[in-house]
Amino acid sequence: MAGEQTPEKGSGMCCGANAPAGPGFFRKGGWLLVALPAWVAAYLSAHPLSEWIAFRLLRLVPKSHLGEAVAFFFYDVPKVLLLLTLIVFVVTFLQTFVSPTRVRNTLSRHREGIGNGLAALLGIVTPFCSCSAVPLFIGFLRAGVPLGVTFSFLVSAPMVNEVALGMLFAMFGWKVALLYALTGVAIAFVSGFVLGRMRMEGHLEGWVQDALKAPALGDMEEEHPSPAERITASVQGVKDIVGKVWPYLLAGIGVGALIHGYVPQALLAGLLGKQAWYSVPLAVLIGVPLYANAAGVVPVVEVLLGKGAALGSTLAFMMAVIGLSLPEVVILRRVLRPRLIAAFVGVVALGILLVGYLFNALL
Amino acid sequence: MLIEVFGPGCAKCETLLKHAKHAAEQSGRIVEVVKVSDYAAMAQRGILSTPALAIDGVVKSQGKVLASSDILDLIQK
Repeated sequence: MAGEQTPEKGSGMCCGANAPAGPGFFRKGGWLLVALPAWVAAYLSAHPLSEWIAFRLLRLVPKSHLGEAVAFFFYDVPKVLLLLTLIVFVVTFLQTFVSPTRVRNTLSRHREGIGNGLAALLGIVTPFCSCSAVPLFIGFLRAGVPLGVTFSFLVSAPMVNEVALGMLFAMFGWKVALLYALTGVAIAFVSGFVLGRMRMEGHLEGWVQDALKAPALGDMEEEHPSPAERITASVQGVKDIVGKVWPYLLAGIGVGALIHGYVPQALLAGLLGKQAWYSVPLAVLIGVPLYANAAGVVPVVEVLLGKGAALGSTLAFMMAVIGLSLPEVVILRRVLRPRLIAAFVGVVALGILLVGYLFNALL
Repeated sequence: MLIEVFGPGCAKCETLLKHAKHAAEQSGRIVEVVKVSDYAAMAQRGILSTPALAIDGVVKSQGKVLASSDILDLIQK
C-alpha cells in the first residue's frame, strides 16, 4: 500500500543524521501529510482498476457470473484494505485515550444502571481481545464493578466492534453505522442489567470467588502517552490488526464475491428477507458458530444487503458472528459455571433476535 | 532481576516472551525470565489485559507487545 512506504522515505529526507534524537517533523507524524493524499488516490483508482483487471486483462465477459464475481473481488480487496488501514489508524489513535485501566477506574465509581450504560458505551472504544477477557473480567470485579456492569462491558466490547463500525460507516453511511452502534449498546445495557438482576454471583467458578474475597484493589495508575507516542502506537496497531485480519478479509470478500456472482437474488431474499418469519433466528443460528473477524464480516454483509436480505436479519447475523463466538465461550468457561454461561449466551442471543425483528418490522 | 511475562498463551504473549528473553541476553545481567499463564495469579496482580510484563514484581506494561529495545530500557533503568 502506498501509505506504508512514505514514513521511511520522509524520515530519510528530513532528519537522516540525527534521526533517533532529533524531533523531526516527519518522525512526529508529518508523514501523514503525504500518506493521506496517496491514500485518497489509491482509493479512487480501485474501481476503474478492478474493471480493467476483470474485463481487459482477464478478458471476462461483463455481466457474466464469473466476470461480476471477479470484478467484485478486485474492487473490494483494495477498497476494504484501504478503508481498514485508515480506520484502524484512527481507532487505535483514539484508543490510546481509553485504556482498560481507565475504564476500570471509571466503572468502579458507578452503580448498576448508569454503570451498565457507561460500560456498554466504553465497550465500543476500549481495546479488547478475547484472550484478555478473563483477566479483565476478574480485574473489573475486584475493583468493585458489579457483575452485571462487567457483563455489559463484556457484551459490548466484542459486539460493537470499532473497526466494523468504521467500515459500516464508510461503506453504508452513518445511518447503518449508528443503527448498529445503538442497538449493540442497547443489547449490552439490557443483557448486563438482566444478568445483574439474576444474582448469579454464586455461579462464578470457585477460584474466582476466592480471588474476590481478597481486599478490593484501589485505582490503578493510568498511562499518559505523548502525541508522538500515540501516533507510533497507531502505526503499530495498523501493522498488528491489518496483518492479522487480511486473511479473514480475503475469505470474507471471496465468499461475498461468490454470493455476488452466483447466488440468485430470489433465494437470499426469500431466506433472509423481511417476509420470512424465520429469517432472524436463521441468521442468528448461522452466525453464532461462525467465528470471523469483525472486519471479515463486513464484505459479506455488503453482499447480503445488496441481494435483498432484510436489514434486521443482516444486523442480527453480523452481531451473532462477532458478538457471540465459540472461542469466547470456551475462554469464559474458565471463570463462569455452565448455568451462568448459558444465561449469558441466552440473554445476548435473545437481545440479538429482538433487534433483528424490530428492524425488520420498522424498516 | 526477575522478569515475568503474563499471558494465557496467545500469539502475542509468546512474542513478548521472546522479546523479553532477547532483552535479558542483551543486557548482560543476570535476569530470570518466567512465563505466568495462571489466571488467578494475573488476577492477584491486578492485570487487566494481556500480554503484560512485570519487572521485580512491578507491572510495567499491559496489553502491549513491547519491543526488545523497550524491555532493555526498562531493565537498565
